Amino acid sequence: MIEFNEAGFTYDGSHFVLDDVTLSVPKGQFLCILGSNGSGKSTLAKHINALLTPDRGTVSVMGNDTSNPEALFLVRSNAGMVFQNPDDQLVATIVENDVAFGPENLGLPADELRKRVTEALATVGLQGYEARETNALSGGQKQRVAIAGVLAMRPQILILDEASAMIDPRGRAGLIRVVKELHEAGLTIIMVTHFMEEAALADRVILMKEGHIVADGEPADILTNAQLMTSMNLEVPFTTQLAADLQNAGVPVTSNLSETDLQEELCNLFSAM
Amino acid sequence: MDTNMIFGRYYAADSPVHRMDARVKLTLLLVFIAAAIFTQTPEGLVILIAFTVAFYIFARIPVRTALSSVAPLLLIVLLTAFANLFFVQQGAVYFHWAFITITERGCYLAVFMGIRLTILLFAACLLTLTTTTLDITDAFETMLKPFTRIGVPAHELSMIMGIALRFLPQFAEELAYTRNAQTSRGARLSEGSLKERVAALKALIIPLFTSVFRHAETLAGAMDARCYHGGPGRTRLNTPKVQARDFVAMAIMAVLVAAVVATNILL
Repeated sequence: MIEFNEAGFTYDGSHFVLDDVTLSVPKGQFLCILGSNGSGKSTLAKHINALLTPDRGTVSVMGNDTSNPEALFLVRSNAGMVFQNPDDQLVATIVENDVAFGPENLGLPADELRKRVTEALATVGLQGYEARETNALSGGQKQRVAIAGVLAMRPQILILDEASAMIDPRGRAGLIRVVKELHEAGLTIIMVTHFMEEAALADRVILMKEGHIVADGEPADILTNAQLMTSMNLEVPFTTQLAADLQNAGVPVTSNLSETDLQEELCNLFSAM
Repeated sequence: MDTNMIFGRYYAADSPVHRMDARVKLTLLLVFIAAAIFTQTPEGLVILIAFTVAFYIFARIPVRTALSSVAPLLLIVLLTAFANLFFVQQGAVYFHWAFITITERGCYLAVFMGIRLTILLFAACLLTLTTTTLDITDAFETMLKPFTRIGVPAHELSMIMGIALRFLPQFAEELAYTRNAQTSRGARLSEGSLKERVAALKALIIPLFTSVFRHAETLAGAMDARCYHGGPGRTRLNTPKVQARDFVAMAIMAVLVAAVVATNILL
């Protein structure tokens, strides 16, 4: 679905923010990209919908080279991107017009546009919000409108570039629920985030540092590796930390990533006492 | 800052005026402005006021909303009125002191022009209160289309206008944040001589500009990401259609124009 082949990118011509990255993401995968500030994770994400094109190597999305100007439309309509600041990415003052912006650019007829707007808003749980003003929405709702705007283009890939960083915990929970549903519906998800709880939901996690991928694997292997995480200036998820502390205190728990699993295990231990 | 107070704000409601074709509304507003400018008699002003009030009632705009959207602009009305009061020197002299002379004609024109301008502001606000910015800019675009042949970038202009309007409330909010932030750091923004106050404005303007440029860059990226490539090949969600209610509005406006012309000729 997405292939990075020794891709390199530089803003100033000398320092490579993305340095010989090779990465292959199969269809339907939920991939989470972690890394501290300046690690190149956002730069990587922006390559997937051709907002940036590699200076070295190649990036291809669904078999299309992103450097090929003729494939630009195909790549961008199939790899939708949601950005960090909800106030920077909504184009229109009214929800339905904003959701329709992408498909309008694709030149779809009016009845198809209407159908897609209704569908996309329903998917993100904002049915009935068509005529609302975007300014009056909460941060979480704005981000869901942004996702609807992307979904209305019927993409195969959804890229979230720290989309939950600027919204409150409740808004974030709603956003993550939508992302999970979309993943279950078969979309390929690429999520750049700072939140380990979000990363724990992914199929696969990659850690980035100075433009390189330094670790690649399942969340259960990567996020719980305290030594690796600390060396990357990342925190281990709360559940992992808690499980480690419990083990040190002599409580025999084994799950260390899923909060519900740990809860269940503790309940069982407690009732066995 | 209360963003509800900003001129040009849309008031969401379902009314015949809201549902009118934006192109018709924009054209009728221009006709109304022309009629108001040609009005020469107080009776003409009464007719204009009656029609404006009637349209506000049709549009189901609460009185408070109407007043608060025009209020910030009343300063312009006052300035115009004062200019007429002091500079028109005609007819009986009511008051004279040093270089100030207030005449009968000056008083009359001050009131007349003040009322006329207030009517115009209410009419312009009615358009923005009942029409989303997107519809206004779309109407603007279709009306400029004939001029694309002589090189007027109709789509680009309307896109620029639309985005500017979309970001207006946000920048007002950010300006208020910056103001509070600077004040809490000890900046004296509303004290001292005029020169000092203008210099202090730098503390507001520079952060606002950096924020504007940052927003512009990310917004451009977000638009690119959603396949924006200018006007050609773009379709629209809502294609406006001229309907019965638009013809009714046109007929009402025709009556208004006829009435104003009649007052000018007959009175």
